[in-house]
Amino acid sequence: MANIRKVAQLAGVSVATVSRVLNHPERVSEKTKNRVLSVMKDIDFSPNALARGLNLRRTNTIALVIPDIQNPLYTEIARGVESIAHRNGNNLLLCNTEKDVVKEKSYVQMLIEKKIDGVILAYTGLKDADFQEIINKEINLILCGMNSATMRISSVYSDFRQGAALAVQHLIKLGYKRIACITGSDRYIENREKVQGYIETMEKAELDVHPHYLVHGNDDINSGYLSALKLQKIEDRPEAVFVCNDLMAIGAINAMQKAGLNVPEDIGVVGYDNIVMGSFIDPKLTTVSWPVYKMGILSARILIDEVNSKSEDVYTQSILLKPKLKIRKSCGHIDRVSEIFD
Amino acid sequence: MDLSTDFIGMHLKNPLILSSGPLSGSGEMMLQALDAGFAAVVTETILNDIRPNVRPRLVKSGDGLQNIWLYTELTLEDWKREIAMVKEADGTLIANILAYSPSEMAFLARKVEDFGADAIELGISSPHGEGIEVIAANYDEMYELVQSVVDSVSIPVIVKLSSNVTNLSLVAQSAQKAGAQGLSAINTVRSILGVNLENQEPLLPTYGGYSGEPIRPIGLAAVATIKQSVDLPVSGIGGIVDYTHLLEYIMLGAETCQLHTALLLHGYHIVPKILDSTRQWLKEHSFKNIGDVRGTALPKLKGFDELIYEPRIVKVKHDCPYEECEQCIATCFYDAIAKSDDGKIMVLSEKCNGCGLCISICPENCFEMVLPEE
Repeated sequence: MANIRKVAQLAGVSVATVSRVLNHPERVSEKTKNRVLSVMKDIDFSPNALARGLNLRRTNTIALVIPDIQNPLYTEIARGVESIAHRNGNNLLLCNTEKDVVKEKSYVQMLIEKKIDGVILAYTGLKDADFQEIINKEINLILCGMNSATMRISSVYSDFRQGAALAVQHLIKLGYKRIACITGSDRYIENREKVQGYIETMEKAELDVHPHYLVHGNDDINSGYLSALKLQKIEDRPEAVFVCNDLMAIGAINAMQKAGLNVPEDIGVVGYDNIVMGSFIDPKLTTVSWPVYKMGILSARILIDEVNSKSEDVYTQSILLKPKLKIRKSCGHIDRVSEIFD
Repeated sequence: MDLSTDFIGMHLKNPLILSSGPLSGSGEMMLQALDAGFAAVVTETILNDIRPNVRPRLVKSGDGLQNIWLYTELTLEDWKREIAMVKEADGTLIANILAYSPSEMAFLARKVEDFGADAIELGISSPHGEGIEVIAANYDEMYELVQSVVDSVSIPVIVKLSSNVTNLSLVAQSAQKAGAQGLSAINTVRSILGVNLENQEPLLPTYGGYSGEPIRPIGLAAVATIKQSVDLPVSGIGGIVDYTHLLEYIMLGAETCQLHTALLLHGYHIVPKILDSTRQWLKEHSFKNIGDVRGTALPKLKGFDELIYEPRIVKVKHDCPYEECEQCIATCFYDAIAKSDDGKIMVLSEKCNGCGLCISICPENCFEMVLPEE
């Protein structure tokens, strides 16, 4: 029967080395690891996952809970988490909440029952009490996209107020004064923060925020289109618009062009998210990029570190990743050097 | 001859360190550098998210090299093994890391400390792939980055600086205030190496970093500026190819020196050569160790106000052995050098204004400067 001793004997290494290949492959040289793995393949040996879990009191499974599997930003987070989970020999469970707190809670119950090692909640709708329940079950928890002000939970997040400020400051620097904002659904804190950043930056520059310059979109491309139609009908039409996500910005540009306006000559546009599509439209979209893939990578790295460390030396880390302005053409910026460097 | 050097709390057998770059891209490569004689190695820049490097990304022209290389292609997880390889062989390793926020930088710093790095170098001054200003040009941003790392680890932290800044002195002071234990300078210089006339394209398709012999004068000035601004150990970088260059940096105050481009262009055999020749030179000049010449040239750097005007002019020291050279005649813009009827080079003392250019132009060292005879 294929067992770990047989593998060790055939590969000419100790049982401990085979165990290291299984549990800590990073501590074994490439050469040895490949030899052991090829022996395992030859004799069709696969470690008994359940027994390993019992032995290490681990399931080597982590979970990622995301609000919307169709949104490319959350799938980027998933891509980052998956790459690190796989690299460290962890299975990944992906849960899609559809922005439904009840569904999210039921997922968390399921994960607790499955005795997973750790969970990453991305843009969660849950509250401190829910976090506490997870922690009480000795499941490591990371918050991705937000930071708990009251609890000591490691988190990786970005600052949307700062991102919106970067976009609006850029428009002000380009000389625009009448700057509108197409908001996202205000059910989400990131959208509320963006609007806050817009208002603060306008006020700081002593520019008026007319109520009719704040148009409420709903995060999708259609609502961007409809919001822009509203804006272009206003008598003192805005000279520029900050749109709270790229999908809506693409819809808005399309609407303006259909209404006979030139972007950016008649109206400048800046989006948010830096989705790939933004660099393929005409004019190319100026936007705010935030390191969403890196948020996934870092969340998974911290989670796996916490799972592997002894409970007493877990170190709570709150990692803030900065948004960055990606200057292209839709804002009316002409100097090409900024496009290359900033 | 003792070349050993103390640097940021590390005792090094000599002052030569392999700087961050493609040759420090793996454990195996760094071990090769240590075998060649380097006292320590700096890893290629380690970051959280990697991306594949474009091809081609290196081009050489003259003695200079342009690169559009963006950091390591190995993941942070891979680096655990690469760093361990160097530490298992008892090598001294400085991990070069890059992140864009203080908390992210601190995360990486703790990671490489866990992996066994002896020190950390913050790689926040690349002239390409980042903003039009290098990260280290913004004092406040740099202060926060350095401080968060210094607070998070117990190993020494150095900051790699660039000459692509307006006021290097303020940058160095900011790093010191934030708690950096040392500095290294300079990073590559933003460049376009050339344009291909036939297809009218730049040699590489984006701005890059210039390195190699041509940037040495910029590196020397940066090291001197830093040494005159802050009281921190410095690792001098830029254009070191032979022992004279190493000694130049040391005499301007550098504790250690880093090099990389010379290895890419000439190979590892230059490392023992630099070290042997340095020992030889120190011995010939009756110095006991390399510390005897450290910083000796620095006090001799003066401000313009302190320079003394002397009405010196050039005199021919010995006859020129060539009949056709005449470089001195062609370049003297005061028309003060001519040939006499018998073909000998002569200086017309009433025309010479003492600029001194001919002295370094002449390949045969025919000229010297003197006070004019009464």
